[in-house]
Amino acid sequence: MSTSATKTVVRRRSLRRRTRWVGLGCAALPLGMYALVVLVPLAQSFQYSFFKWDGVTASTWVGFDNYVSFVTDPVLRSTFGHVLVLIGFFALLPIALGLLSAALLTRAKQPGMAVFRWIFFLPQVMTTVVIALVFKRIYAPDGPLNQALRAVGLDSFAKTWLGDFTWALPALGLIGTWVTFGFCMVLFISGTSAIAPELYEAARMDGAGPVREFFAVTLPGLRGQMAVALTLTITAALRTFDLVWITTHGGPGTSTLTPAVALYKAAFQNPQVGLAAAIGVVMAAMCLVIAVVITRISERD
Amino acid sequence: MRVHKAIGAVAASLIFSMLAACSPGSGSTDKAETPSTVSTDVAAAGTVTLKFTDFWGGAEGEWIKQVIADFQKKYPNVTIDRTTEDWGQLNSTLNLQLQDDGGPDIATANNGWQSLGTLAKGGLVVNLDAYAKAYGWDKKVPTTIARQNQFSTDFKTMGSGSWFSTPMARTSLIGLYYNADKLKSLGINPPASLADLEAAAAKAKAAGEVPFEYGSLDSSTTVLLGVQALLADKKKLNDYIYDTPSVKAADVGMTEAITLVKKWADAGYYPKNYQGIDYQTAVANYVGGKGVFRWEYTGSLGLNAAQQGHYGYVQLPQASGSGTVGVGAAPGAMVVSAKSKHPDVAAAFLDYMMSAETGQAAVDRGLVPALSPDAKAPASSLSLTGESAAAAKLDSDDGYVPYFDWSSPTMLDTIGANLQLVLAGKMTPDKFTEAVDKDRDAFLAQQS
Repeated sequence: MSTSATKTVVRRRSLRRRTRWVGLGCAALPLGMYALVVLVPLAQSFQYSFFKWDGVTASTWVGFDNYVSFVTDPVLRSTFGHVLVLIGFFALLPIALGLLSAALLTRAKQPGMAVFRWIFFLPQVMTTVVIALVFKRIYAPDGPLNQALRAVGLDSFAKTWLGDFTWALPALGLIGTWVTFGFCMVLFISGTSAIAPELYEAARMDGAGPVREFFAVTLPGLRGQMAVALTLTITAALRTFDLVWITTHGGPGTSTLTPAVALYKAAFQNPQVGLAAAIGVVMAAMCLVIAVVITRISERD
Repeated sequence: MRVHKAIGAVAASLIFSMLAACSPGSGSTDKAETPSTVSTDVAAAGTVTLKFTDFWGGAEGEWIKQVIADFQKKYPNVTIDRTTEDWGQLNSTLNLQLQDDGGPDIATANNGWQSLGTLAKGGLVVNLDAYAKAYGWDKKVPTTIARQNQFSTDFKTMGSGSWFSTPMARTSLIGLYYNADKLKSLGINPPASLADLEAAAAKAKAAGEVPFEYGSLDSSTTVLLGVQALLADKKKLNDYIYDTPSVKAADVGMTEAITLVKKWADAGYYPKNYQGIDYQTAVANYVGGKGVFRWEYTGSLGLNAAQQGHYGYVQLPQASGSGTVGVGAAPGAMVVSAKSKHPDVAAAFLDYMMSAETGQAAVDRGLVPALSPDAKAPASSLSLTGESAAAAKLDSDDGYVPYFDWSSPTMLDTIGANLQLVLAGKMTPDKFTEAVDKDRDAFLAQQS
């Protein structure tokens, strides 16, 4: 009896081992593809980042020089400052607005809410190139924004938005807010509807008002969604390229230059492939760190 | 968990082997030798098919089709198989195409270090010295144009040494366009000097017109480079751009040019809000009738046949009065692939592209001819007549200077971004000139 029992166990275990190998075998092709199109280029970029290379002729090993230039080159350094500003506009502002609107929308259920949500989500579906072109028009010297300002008598506020050293970066940032706001809102609305109604009832029994209810029930319940929203929007801010490229090319001066634009210029306009690879590696590392940190924090009890 | 570890191990070993492997780009350092025996006898070459890649569309595309058809008629044994690619696409992939055995025999590269210099240094294009001798290019082509195609064989200097590309019987210049109707109604003659131009601009401004249609949003630098050519010494400016370290930006009129550009801005000679106007909008505004003058590359306004009668073009003489100097280059540098099996035939085609026939074929399609002083522009086209006259004058004065951004790969970014700073009053002209030197000197330091 006991021997037959062990036999079954052994057989079951070997069966399990066999299925594991079958599984791995099935995954081998996709894994191989992944290695070929993601891991190999990743490793190559990492390798290039230690060289000075024009993309064609022989390269020279420069060690960490390309990385050191993040510290020594004021223009390159400033790109990360610009990204911090963009994170405010791409991540923090839309999340705050998204939370607020989600709280308002889920409290009072009105007919036609789906349409409302759909309208705000629309920017997320549109191609960035289209959005950038539309906003370039809006921010133009004689564009709708300045016309509107003049129409209400605020002539002194009318500016060459994208050509202004102070305003170009915030103007770009607001485009990002417009794009990511709807996404955050939809994410938070779906998150709120997943929170057990009993929790709200309990809170109300304890005499919590709408504000208290929001901070005590809704906000903790949305932790997972917040983590997703933060990760996606912060990495989007870090990777900002098309918006800047189409609207300002990094100008005026270098006041809207982002790491991704600097990378593109180094890789495809000026033959500095090593520097471009180093920028890419740093951006990838920062995205990874941000994702890991946010996941850790949101999963902590 | 075990799977994760396995992937980690694979990735780690991959990274390690890649890092330890030979450095990137070291596979293509073999220098192309200049062919020792060359033949100019195309008919004797037998049946030859050449692959030809360029970026020309529109009128330029029609022109090159005509040139190819004429060449094939002259030499029925030769077939030229043309492909055309978008400019940006060709520019970013040409080095890969030339490394491929099935790549083009002849292609349009870009002058300067970024494209041509890198291709020559990498041994991807043929050293054309033997052909230059056989066809007499040194006599046929003005020195200031020839230099644009030359690199020293140690690839430390541009603008002297061996021929690695050829120009063509066409050119692209920076000069001054004027709206002829507006000048007439303002009672101003087309300017014949910088002083004339300043007087005309002041008069236009007083009459409520915008003297110069310009937008700086995407850092357009034509106005600066156009003005610089009027103020700088021709030889020094050429030498500066070809990286002669002893010549400094202050020696080539940079400070004077940027000062004048800023002065015009302060005088309100550019449109209101020009800092928020991008290049395309400025061009559209000018062609749509806004502004009196515009500094522009020839061919970039896209004037149709009717509009060409209403816009004129002048290449102003130097402020010092010593001849005419203008920014100009062939719209593409013709290269022969080091992998081509028929370099003799390819070189014969390049020579044909510099002939007077191709110049006339260009002007027939509204393009600016060069190297062909007898090319006749239609009298109805005011702009093309002016452009052709300008090119003929620069050919005879040997007065070309290359585009300033050839001096270093990052120069266009540097002058573009710093021009915006100067226009916004955030940088002085002196500092601008310093920044230009700093950019070039940094490039020179890493070249040696």
